[in-house]
Amino acid sequence: MRRDHGYPPITEWWKMKRKLQKQFIPPTYEENNFTKLQNHRQRLTTVEDYINEFYLLSSQVTTYESEVQKDCIKVLQKKFPESTRVGRLEGMLLEAKGSWGDAQKTYTRLLEDSPLDQVILKRRVAVAKAQGDTSEAIECLNKYLEIFMADHDAWRELAEIYVSLQMYKQAAFCYEELILCQPTVPLHHLTYADLLYTLGGLENLQTAKKYYASTIDLTGGKNTRALYGICLLLSLNFISQCSMAMGQLIKGGRNKEDKDSSELQSLAATALEKDYSKRAPNKLSLLTATLKNMKL
Amino acid sequence: MGVELNKYEIAQSAYIKLVLHALKHKSTAVNGILIGRLINNNNNNLVEISDAIPLSHSQIGLLPTLEIALIHIEEQFVSQGLSVVGYYHANDRFDDSEVGNVAKKIGDHICRYFPQAALLLLDNKKLQSLPKGNPILQLHTRDQSKNWKQAGLAAGSVLTVKEPSANVVLLDYILTEKWESIVDFDDHLDDISKDWLNLNLFK
Repeated sequence: MRRDHGYPPITEWWKMKRKLQKQFIPPTYEENNFTKLQNHRQRLTTVEDYINEFYLLSSQVTTYESEVQKDCIKVLQKKFPESTRVGRLEGMLLEAKGSWGDAQKTYTRLLEDSPLDQVILKRRVAVAKAQGDTSEAIECLNKYLEIFMADHDAWRELAEIYVSLQMYKQAAFCYEELILCQPTVPLHHLTYADLLYTLGGLENLQTAKKYYASTIDLTGGKNTRALYGICLLLSLNFISQCSMAMGQLIKGGRNKEDKDSSELQSLAATALEKDYSKRAPNKLSLLTATLKNMKL
Repeated sequence: MGVELNKYEIAQSAYIKLVLHALKHKSTAVNGILIGRLINNNNNNLVEISDAIPLSHSQIGLLPTLEIALIHIEEQFVSQGLSVVGYYHANDRFDDSEVGNVAKKIGDHICRYFPQAALLLLDNKKLQSLPKGNPILQLHTRDQSKNWKQAGLAAGSVLTVKEPSANVVLLDYILTEKWESIVDFDDHLDDISKDWLNLNLFK
């Protein structure tokens, strides 16, 4: 066998897999599967059989890392020579191969003809991000948002990049824009509260409390993260109250806020315990101990 | 003089959980906490990492998830005599093998309570073909000037896996796509019925 022909034995699974594929799978396997998938019709089979057959065929069609993509693009280019959409596919194939420089060149060329193409502008951000050039990604995204300021996904993406660089203030600005555009989306309120909590400082923490509360309001009390957020904040508040007492900074009017705060915390704690006892009863004792710890 | 020789030994289940967590979320960075204990043997310290708790796969730089998780973890493991002994991180980009600032910051926080804390960074490139014995992790520890340095290249701290066949078992799990069933703290906060302890993962 391999030893007889002077080849070393195969010791790695992926090598074996490749050899087996070469030997036993016909070269037109992928194309045949693709054709079958495209021509799949229900005819006289039941719905369930049709769906099962569909999933089987689509799992057999592997379009990752094959020559089929290149051939498809060649055909498209022939038929639609000046098309931006085909150009985008070309760029994306280059991205998938990791040829970042060529991908950038393709996109720059396409932008000369259609400078306001949103998809291409965003692909440029993706290329910068994939290369690890975060400052370029931020610059491109900011320029994009100057024109397309209603693009919520772009604001969220920019905020995520800022968070990964620990630029929390800038990320918070993005979320302020998002809350302005979509004030009833609870996710924005929640992430904004998380950002303010991470930034820290008395004012930010007090605003964070308000946004956790608005998240709870918008989600009908069902958001676990917001409930935990309230508990965390109020355990922090307790610590700051003690140190403030030492510094004689307590004013008389604060007492009402303290009562509201501790009421809010016990409400949040009760809501969490109720939810855990229903959906995660094995974690309930851990939760109760944890909440007790947070109240110090 | 007495240079402290720290040995770090990670259990197979902790190692596999860590890698599976990274494989589940291929397009984002992931992180988690390492649980274990310190064993003193004259001048040699052995840090035994017995478990890994996957934490987040999104917005890793935000504090609330981390703080809630640490409080839960402490409460869960203190009765078993275990504590937080380290932190693991896997970068989102394939060719990024630097320990980022967020990872260092979390590592610093853990060092306050456990000075010999280990910061494990997943070596993405070695995922393609798993080596025979060594874990595909970079060990970073904090030296006296509070800088994170990679261990292993010069003399000093060493990381080994307790069970030598760990990479074989790991490869098997990768091929059966076991990463689908791993749950991190983020998943738990989105749906509290999911168990962040992953008690049924290896059954």
